Amino acid sequence: MENLIEVKNLKKYFSTPRGELHAVDNVSLNIEKGKTIGIVGESGCGKSTLGKTLMRLHNATSGQVLYNGVDIANMPMKEFKKDYRSNIQMIFQDPYSSLDPRMNVLQLIEEPIKVNMKNLSKIEIKEKAQEMMELVGLAKRLENSYPHELDGGRRQRIGIARALSLNPDFIVCDEPVSALDVSIQAQILNLLQNLQAERGLTYMFITHDMSVVKHISDDIAVMYLGQVIEKCPANEIFKHTIHPYSQALLSAIPIPNVHVKKERMILRGELTSPINPKKCCRFVARCPYATEKCHNEEPELRELKTNHSVACHYAEKFM
Amino acid sequence: MSENILSVKNLVIHYETDEEVVEAVNNISFDLKKGEILGLVGETGAGKTTTALGIMGLLPTRVGHVIQGSIELDGENLLEKSPREMRKVRGKKISMIFQDPMTALNPVKTVGDQIAEVVLLHERCSRAEAMIRAQKMLAMVGIVPERYKDYPHQFSGGMKQRIVIAIALACEPELLIADEPTTALDVTIQAQILDMMRKLQKEHNTSMILITHDLGVVAEMCDHCAVMYAGELVEYGTVEDIFDNPQHPYTVALYKSIPSLDKDVDRLHVVPGMVTDPSNLPSGCSFSDRCDKKGDMCNKHEAPGIVDLGNGHLVKCLKYKPEVEEK
Repeated sequence: MENLIEVKNLKKYFSTPRGELHAVDNVSLNIEKGKTIGIVGESGCGKSTLGKTLMRLHNATSGQVLYNGVDIANMPMKEFKKDYRSNIQMIFQDPYSSLDPRMNVLQLIEEPIKVNMKNLSKIEIKEKAQEMMELVGLAKRLENSYPHELDGGRRQRIGIARALSLNPDFIVCDEPVSALDVSIQAQILNLLQNLQAERGLTYMFITHDMSVVKHISDDIAVMYLGQVIEKCPANEIFKHTIHPYSQALLSAIPIPNVHVKKERMILRGELTSPINPKKCCRFVARCPYATEKCHNEEPELRELKTNHSVACHYAEKFM
Repeated sequence: MSENILSVKNLVIHYETDEEVVEAVNNISFDLKKGEILGLVGETGAGKTTTALGIMGLLPTRVGHVIQGSIELDGENLLEKSPREMRKVRGKKISMIFQDPMTALNPVKTVGDQIAEVVLLHERCSRAEAMIRAQKMLAMVGIVPERYKDYPHQFSGGMKQRIVIAIALACEPELLIADEPTTALDVTIQAQILDMMRKLQKEHNTSMILITHDLGVVAEMCDHCAVMYAGELVEYGTVEDIFDNPQHPYTVALYKSIPSLDKDVDRLHVVPGMVTDPSNLPSGCSFSDRCDKKGDMCNKHEAPGIVDLGNGHLVKCLKYKPEVEEK
């Protein structure tokens, strides 16, 4: 399969009064057409920044993002907006704050169409918006409702309709279900999967919920402090986790089954600061297996098996 | 059999505003034994937090009303106590951990002072003694005692939640109510906090009500589990009962809608519709509109009563009514 998106050595640094914050540090990823890549990690590990940098909501510090072979990270903004913005869309995390409270449902969905498809007439825009509402399962009677009258699940459907209205082929889903109740979460996840099957969409699915990411993704990348530390097919990570951090992350998930008593690997401490990181393994402060080498050398992402890469000096030991 | 520390009977709580009456908690009853952990599960708007606030006597004044029922702690009805008496109970006998550690702490007071405050209020001791106690509490929750002069903004989310727990446990309460204590935290931090709570609970034999929407957390922490829907207790039993043998259609549906780590499914099971609006409850069973086992009787009949399936596994569903009548 061909790659729709290729991310090459992407970096995004923010300057802060205390130094450079390495939010995304040297990330390389390939995303195949029609597939879903899941990005997991704790808060502050740079998953959202990665998504926003792909969208050009942040400008990359260095590195490339190839969309069908064209570098979209370094082209002039004007050109990006004209030719590529409508192909790459985003669904935002919080359906409560990402919608303008003074627009009704129809206006909200019409807005991106109006901005990006200037050749359409008013009636065509309205028809297109109504078609989107039907597609995501919003009843016609809600056209004139305002976001505050709707529940979280319906609001998130508006967010999805807005993203889909421009016929994109790549959608960055930034924690689209974490603000929702489980019964609503299931509805939205099924909707996203059905849309993908119908329209051949490619997703980047950012979340901190491992069971959600396993359910929806084909490939998974685990991030820690701005770096991808493990990358493999979704099934593989739950059967043959290699990196100590991924192991800890998995063992921390409470499983809704009374009979499974797990060996917990409890991490001490918390994420270290991503400001001016030293040249060492980023996970060294919390890793139970850390050695001298880990403090002095930065491990590279190495491919150990087909499609399974890990950034750890002692990865072979954990296989 | 150990005695009941808390016994809630037929509790009804309404929020009354000029426009509408929200029936937040409808006739719930449960008991909590000493040293036990009860998990209270349900979706947003199910009335979990309202129940907790009702027990604490912290319902919003003028709007929240306890319409009927009793809440007995160690045989004393908390609802008959004056606000002054309740203040002596809160923090000393019952403590609560709130959902969001970021906003639960006072930003302009050092954390040491905030822990010492509880001790000073409830126990006869000097400031210096209270301060020493505060430092001990910090050490107990795994924060170096030297940091007692730091302010909340100097701590991370996980550490703030530890401080909130330290405040709650400072006077060794008999009952701890934890309202979604780990929802705002990352999984690795959640694992740390849950581990610590379990250890402290065992050491002090504290009884606990753990409010959560995460069934995984309940399976790991709790002895008993109560499932709430639209202000009603729809199912109650030991965690083994609820997880191995769920009986209420809502519990079954809830369980099926969670993506599983060890099973592969193509599409998730979906509970149709939305969570029932507690200001506009349907007649009869409040889950009937979303239920896949709905019968003709569900809407016509008055709300289903509680049925004991044996061994204290309680279910509120008409499906089980005939069996009772036979008995």
